Amino acid sequence: MTDLSLYSVQAILILDGSGNRVYANYYRPPHQPEEQLSVLSQSVKKQKEFEKQLFAKTHKHDSEILIFEDHLVLYKEYLDVTLYLIGSIEENEMVLQLAFTAFKDSLDLILNSGIDKKNIQEHYDTVLLAIDETIDHGVILETDPAAIASRVTKPPVNEPQISLDLDKGLLGAWGFAKSRLQEKLQQGI
Amino acid sequence: MSTHTYKKFENAGSGDLPDRMTIYQDCMSEFNESPVNPKRCRLLISRLLRLLAEGETFPENEATALFFSISKLFQHPNDSLRQSVYLAIKALSSISEDVLMATSSIMKDVQNGSDLVKPNAIRALTTVLDESTAFSAERLLKSAVVNKHPSISSAALTSSYHLLPIAEATAKRFVNETQEAVMDLKPFPHRNVVGDYYPNSTFITQYHALGLLYQLKKSDKMALLKLIRQFSDNNTLKSQLAKVGLVKLVSELVTRDAQLFSSFQPLLNNWLSNKYESVQLETAKLITNFAIQHPHLVSAELHASAVTTLQSLLTVPRVSARFAALRILNRVSMVSPEKIVVCNPELESLINDPNRNISTYAITTLLKTGTESNISSLISTITKFIHEVSDDFKIIIVDAIRTLSINFPQEWMAILNFLIDVLKNGEGGLKFKNNIVEALIDMVSFVPQAKDLALENLCDFIEDCEFNEILVRILHLLGKEGPSTATPSLYVRHIYNRVVLENSIIRSAAVVALSKFALTKNDPTLGESIVSLLRRIANDQDDEVRDRATIALKFIESAKKEENPEAREFVQSRYSYDLPSLESKLSSYISSNADSFQTPFDVTNIRKYTEDEAKAIELKKKQEQLLKGHLENGSESTPGLEEGSKGEKRDSSYAGPSLDEHQEDLRSTKYAEELLSMEQIKEFGPLVNSSRTIDLTDPEAEFVVRGVKHLFNNHAVLQFNITNTLTDIALDNVTVTCTPENPSESSLEELFSLSIDRLSPSQEAACYVAYNKSEEIVMEGFLNNLTFTTRELDPETQQPLDDTEGFQDEFDIDSIFLNAGDYIKSSFVGDFTNAFDELPNEEVAVYNIKENITLQELVDRLVVNTSCLPLESTQYAPSDSSSHTVKLFGKSALKGEKIALVVKLIKTSKGIAMKAQGRSEDATLCSYLVNGLM
Repeated sequence: MTDLSLYSVQAILILDGSGNRVYANYYRPPHQPEEQLSVLSQSVKKQKEFEKQLFAKTHKHDSEILIFEDHLVLYKEYLDVTLYLIGSIEENEMVLQLAFTAFKDSLDLILNSGIDKKNIQEHYDTVLLAIDETIDHGVILETDPAAIASRVTKPPVNEPQISLDLDKGLLGAWGFAKSRLQEKLQQGI
Repeated sequence: MSTHTYKKFENAGSGDLPDRMTIYQDCMSEFNESPVNPKRCRLLISRLLRLLAEGETFPENEATALFFSISKLFQHPNDSLRQSVYLAIKALSSISEDVLMATSSIMKDVQNGSDLVKPNAIRALTTVLDESTAFSAERLLKSAVVNKHPSISSAALTSSYHLLPIAEATAKRFVNETQEAVMDLKPFPHRNVVGDYYPNSTFITQYHALGLLYQLKKSDKMALLKLIRQFSDNNTLKSQLAKVGLVKLVSELVTRDAQLFSSFQPLLNNWLSNKYESVQLETAKLITNFAIQHPHLVSAELHASAVTTLQSLLTVPRVSARFAALRILNRVSMVSPEKIVVCNPELESLINDPNRNISTYAITTLLKTGTESNISSLISTITKFIHEVSDDFKIIIVDAIRTLSINFPQEWMAILNFLIDVLKNGEGGLKFKNNIVEALIDMVSFVPQAKDLALENLCDFIEDCEFNEILVRILHLLGKEGPSTATPSLYVRHIYNRVVLENSIIRSAAVVALSKFALTKNDPTLGESIVSLLRRIANDQDDEVRDRATIALKFIESAKKEENPEAREFVQSRYSYDLPSLESKLSSYISSNADSFQTPFDVTNIRKYTEDEAKAIELKKKQEQLLKGHLENGSESTPGLEEGSKGEKRDSSYAGPSLDEHQEDLRSTKYAEELLSMEQIKEFGPLVNSSRTIDLTDPEAEFVVRGVKHLFNNHAVLQFNITNTLTDIALDNVTVTCTPENPSESSLEELFSLSIDRLSPSQEAACYVAYNKSEEIVMEGFLNNLTFTTRELDPETQQPLDDTEGFQDEFDIDSIFLNAGDYIKSSFVGDFTNAFDELPNEEVAVYNIKENITLQELVDRLVVNTSCLPLESTQYAPSDSSSHTVKLFGKSALKGEKIALVVKLIKTSKGIAMKAQGRSEDATLCSYLVNGLM
C-alpha cells in the first residue's frame, strides 16, 4: 500500500479567480508504458473537467487540504489565483505539504510584488522555471524556497546598441551643439 | 493583423495570448534569426509553453519544426536563455519526432556548462534519450551523481530514476556511487551564489539517492535490510524526505514478511518521537496499518504510543498535520475504535474546526469510538450544529448515524429522534433526504422496537415530500411492513391520501402498497375497505394506475374466495429473488434468444429468499462493509467533498454493496450455474446450499485451488477450482482424488468425478467429485490430492512440445470438511432472546482452545464455521475485555428449521474457554452444530 516511488506529485495547477487555467502540468513519468499512466494525464478534456469541479469545491473555502476524487489536494487561494498541488491519496500529507510550501514560497520570492494573476502572467518564464526546479516529472526536486529561487534566472536584458564610431560621434555632437546654439542666439536676437 | 494588436503582444505584461498560429510563426522566424536576440526568444518560449500548458497542442510536423529551431538556440551562451530552452525541450519532446538530434548539444552542456545550467541539461537529457541510446549517458550521469553540488547530483539521480524503465542496467552500474550519495551530505556552495538568495541545504539528494537505490535493490530483501540498518543510524539521514522514505522502506519490508516486524519495533518506537511530523505520521501510519492486518504481532505499548503520537498531532496548528493524523485515526476507528477512545477530548474539540473536512472526520471518528454511554450525548451535540453545515457534510453525518443504528440497537430512541428531527426540520436536497430515509428504512428492518415510531414519522413526512423517488420508496416500505403492524388502518389512511393528491407515478405505487393491506390478519375488517378503495381508484384517469388497481382487485378476490396460494403470493409475496443471479440469467436469456423466445424464461433455478433470509443477507453485507469496505475500497474520501463521483457509489452501495462483494456474489452464482449445466449433476435436483469458496492452497502456490461445497437433497458435490499460474506448462488430465478421513465409517458413496482434460497456463477450470448421501445430515472430512500430467509448452505457439511425454505429478492440497455449518443458512430475527427461548431442543458443549488467537479471530471463525448470522452486533469482540458473548442465528438449508446459538468466550492465560449453547427445532442439527464448532 505504501509506495516507495519518488513520483509523489501528480499535478501542479494554477487557476484564476473564475476557475480558468493559468498553468497546469499533469505529470507523467517519462518512459513509462502508456497503459500505466493515469487517465488524467492523458486527456485534456478530463483535466479541464477535473479543474472545474475542484475549483467549485475549493473556491472560497479556506481549508488548505482535502481529498478530491481519490487525490490528495493541497491548495492556497490568493486574491485572484489559487495554487494547487495534487498528489496520490496514499502519499504522506506532510511530504506534500513540504513540496507545496516550497512551490508557494518560491513563487513568493521570485514574484517581487506578490502572487496574483497579472504578475504570474507577466513573469511566466520565471514561474515556469521555479516550478520546474521544484518538481521534475512528479519527483520533488527541492524543498527550500531560497534554493529554488536561486536557481531561477532572470530574463536576459537587451544588450544596448552602442555605436563605436567615436570620431563621428564627437564631431556630430559638436555640430549639433553648434547649430542649436546658433539657433538660440538667432532667436534671442 | 493590424499593428495595434501586434504591439499588444509585444508587451510581455499583457495577459492575453496570441493564437497558436501566430506564436508558431513568431517562434519559427525569431529562433532562426542570427544573431539571436535572447530576451525576445525567452519571451517567445514562455508564450509557447503557456500555450501548451493551457491544453493546446501542435501537430507532429509543427512540433518537430519547433523543436528543431529551438535546438538552434544552443549557439547562444546566455544561461537564462538556456534554462528556457531546456524547459521547451522537455515540453516538446513528447509531441515531436527526432528528438535525438538534440542529444549531443545537451551532453556538451552536461560536461562543460555552468553549474547553473548543468542540472537543467541533465534533466532534459532523459526526455530525449530512448532505449537504444540511454547507455551512452552512463559516464555523464555517473560523474554527475558524485558531483559535490547538490542540484547536479540530484538531477543526475532523478534522471536515472526516470530512465529506469528503459535502462535499468545502466543505472545498476553506478549503484555504489548512488549509495555514496545517500551517505554524503552535500551542502550548497555558498561562495558562488548567483542571485540574491541564500539557499538552505535540505540534503534532499539523499532522498533521491534512496529512492533510486530502492528501485535498484528492491528484489533483494537482504540488501534492503542492510540499507535500513545502515541508514537508520540517527545521523546518517539529514533530509526529512529521505527519512520518510526509509519508513516507507520498512513498511514495504514488513508487508512482504510480517515476521520482521518485531525486530523493527525499537526503531519504530524511536521514530515516533522524531523531530519531523512527517516521519511521526508515516511511522504511526505504518504501525496502525500493520496492526489492522496482523493484530497479534504488534505489541500493545507500541500501538498505544503510535496513538499518543497521533493524539498530540491533533492539536498542532498546521492544518495538514491535523488532517493527516485524523485520517489515520479514522481508519483505526473502523477496526478497533476502543484503541483510540483516549483521543476523544481532542476529537471533540476538533468538531468546531474551521476546516470542514477536519470537523467531519472528527465527528465520524467520534461516532465510531462512541460507546453506549456517550452516544446519546454525542448525538445531542451533533443535533445542535447539523443545521449549520452544508449538505455534503450532513450526508456524511447521517451515514455515520446510520451505522450506529446497526451497532447500537439499544440506543434506537436517541438515534430515531435525531433522524426524525433532521428529516422534518432540515433543509436539504434529494440526496440528503434520501440518506435519512435510507437510515430510517434500515432501522425499520433491523431494529424492531423502532419500527412503529419510524413508520409513523415516515407517514407524516410523505404528506409534504417533494421528491417522487423518496415517496415511492416509502410507499413500498409501508406496503411491506404496514400490514404486519398492530394498527394497519393508520397507514391505509396515509397511503390513500397520496392516491387522492399526487401524480400518477406515486398513485401507482400507492395502489400496490394499498393492495398489500387487503389480506392483513391483524385487522380483518380492513379487507373490505381496501377493496372499495381500489374500486374507486379503478376509475382513475391514468391507465397505469387503473391497470394496477384492476389487477390488484382480481388477485384479492381470487385469493379470498378460493384460498388460492398463487394469488396470495402475488398480493403479498413472501419471497424475493436473488437479484444478481436473476439479472445475469435474464440478460443471458435475452442475448441467447435461441428460438425467438418461444421457451419461457425459467425462474426455478434462481435462488429465492424469504424475507428473513433476505434481511440476514443484507445485514451481513452491511456488517462486512463496515469492517472491510472502508479500508479496502478506498472509500476513505474526504467527507462530503465527493458528491459528484461518490454520490453514485453511495447510491449503489445499499443495493449491492461494494464491487468486490458483488463480484463474489456473481462468482458463486456462476459456479452454481456451471454446476447445474452439467448433465450428470442436473439429475440431483435443485441445489440446496453452496458454501463460500475456501482457499485450499497458498494463494502464491503454483496451482491455486479453491473449493466449494454444494449440497443437494440426496447428493453432495465438491467443486475444486484450479488455476494454473505457470506460464509455460500446461496440465493434462487434472483430477482431484478425495479420500474420506475415516474410510470405514464413511456414509458417503462416491458416484463419479469429473476431470479437466487440459489446463493451459493462467487458466482456471473446475474438477468435480460427486457423492451420494442420505437425506440426513452427513459430516465428513476429505483428504485431497491433485494429480496431473505436466506438459511443457512451446513458448511461441503455446502448443505442447512434441518430444516431451510429460510426467505424472501430484500436489497436496488442504483437506475440505463437510460440516454442520454447510447445512445452515444465516437468517435474521428481530428479538433474539425470545426466539432463543422458544426453540425446543437444547444442546450444550464446552471447548478449551489452546491456540494463541484473539477473541475477535475466534468470533470470525465461529461466524464462518456456523454460517449463522451474528446478531445484536455481537460479532465485534471488545479487545479490552477478556470475555465476550456471541449470538448466532440461522436456518437449516434442508428443511428450514431455526437454530440459535449463544457462545460465551472467556480468555485466560492458558487459552480461550468457550461454552456453546444451541437451541433448535432440529435436535440432530443442533447437536452436530454445537459439537462441531471447531
